Amino acid sequence: MNLIEAYAYEVTRRLPEKSRDDIALELHTIIEDMLPDDYTEKEVMEALSKLGDPAQLAASYRDTPKFLIGPKVYDAYMRTMKIIVPWVIFITILVYVVESIVLFSGEQSILSVMIKGLGMIIANIIQALIHTFFWVTLVFIAIERFGLAGNIDSKLGTIWTPEDLKQVNLIPKKKIISKGEVVFGFIWTAIWVGFYFNADRLAGIYRSTDGHDLQMIMPIFDQTVLLSYWPIILPFALLEIGLGIYKWKTKQWTMKLVTINAVIKVFSVVAFIVIASNPNLINEAVAPYMVTLLEISLSSVNNFMNWAVWTIVITIIVTVVIEVYETYRKAKVI
Amino acid sequence: MIMSLVESFTTELRRGTLTLAVLSQLRVPQYGYSLVQRLEKAGVTIEQSTLYPLLRRLEKQKLLTSSWDTSESRPRKYYVMNEYGIELYEQLKTEWKTMTVELTTLLEGDEHHESD
Repeated sequence: MNLIEAYAYEVTRRLPEKSRDDIALELHTIIEDMLPDDYTEKEVMEALSKLGDPAQLAASYRDTPKFLIGPKVYDAYMRTMKIIVPWVIFITILVYVVESIVLFSGEQSILSVMIKGLGMIIANIIQALIHTFFWVTLVFIAIERFGLAGNIDSKLGTIWTPEDLKQVNLIPKKKIISKGEVVFGFIWTAIWVGFYFNADRLAGIYRSTDGHDLQMIMPIFDQTVLLSYWPIILPFALLEIGLGIYKWKTKQWTMKLVTINAVIKVFSVVAFIVIASNPNLINEAVAPYMVTLLEISLSSVNNFMNWAVWTIVITIIVTVVIEVYETYRKAKVI
Repeated sequence: MIMSLVESFTTELRRGTLTLAVLSQLRVPQYGYSLVQRLEKAGVTIEQSTLYPLLRRLEKQKLLTSSWDTSESRPRKYYVMNEYGIELYEQLKTEWKTMTVELTTLLEGDEHHESD
């Protein structure tokens, strides 16, 4: 008797409360039916082993899904994650970079700020991702349990038809513009714009005095001269962002995209040359400082700075040419 | 290796027919164990742990009606097909018959090929 009781308990404790009593009673009668009138413990054991593992029996009684996220919503779940995760990473980085540029006081060396910042960014991303996984999963578990819609197929809430195939773009692998590339572009633009508007606090000559931490002695650029170019910089930043969005939408390199990209890049190089060739761009206190520091003549300092500027300009031109050529090659792939 | 494959395919084949087999016995009220015995007598083996949950599911799908009989010394839960259940059972039966005819044709064709 005890064994039967225990078996029924083992099954029903795994089941929803409202059906427990009924199933327990049914199990009792089923087991007793299998036994002769005066049964021994051994016979009970035999009958119970016929019924099998209580956990398995309970599992076949249960009709709600055993999985958290079932096959019906799994695809939608994965797709949602793939869409959300890059954005979470992107926004986390962007928020952190903008925040630290705005809050940067110039008291610490830029290198240590950057190293510390990298660690902070990684920590922030991990934290944001944990939150994202938790909440998205929770939402999908709820959808699985309570059934948001009868049929959640390939796209959330719609049922697949062959018509959908017409919207499928078969893109050759070499033509694809990855989302990561676009997001990286956004971050890059944000960093440069942030740098541009804060150059006097970020780019400077650093020296450690009396064994202390590195300290900024003077900014390299004349911020007022630099900022006077904002009507050029801002449109280019906006163009870059617009181009990024366009790349995100087309998903592949086309001739049109290559042309637009090339035009923007060429004009931005021109703008860069114009800005770089402004003689007042470099803080006028830098040259005399270098002269006393390095004990060389003013003309050689000027030569050196000219040389540095033009090296940068030529490097940029070469990179742009390579990039335009590469994208052109990608667009030509059929 | 082959044996276990045969077993798993057979289980799969049988699984689809179980509902039909169970329904066929429920024109008159049956309790769980009597159903097991009837099926076994006809050569249909069904795990008890499969049968009882199946009965409950069919009841939930409104094909069966259940009632507790407490008049005897042992209370028993009886299941019987209701009208909707009978209707569904008849349709399933027709489907099954068509299917067996189709499959027989295919299988006999196969035997012909072998003898060629």
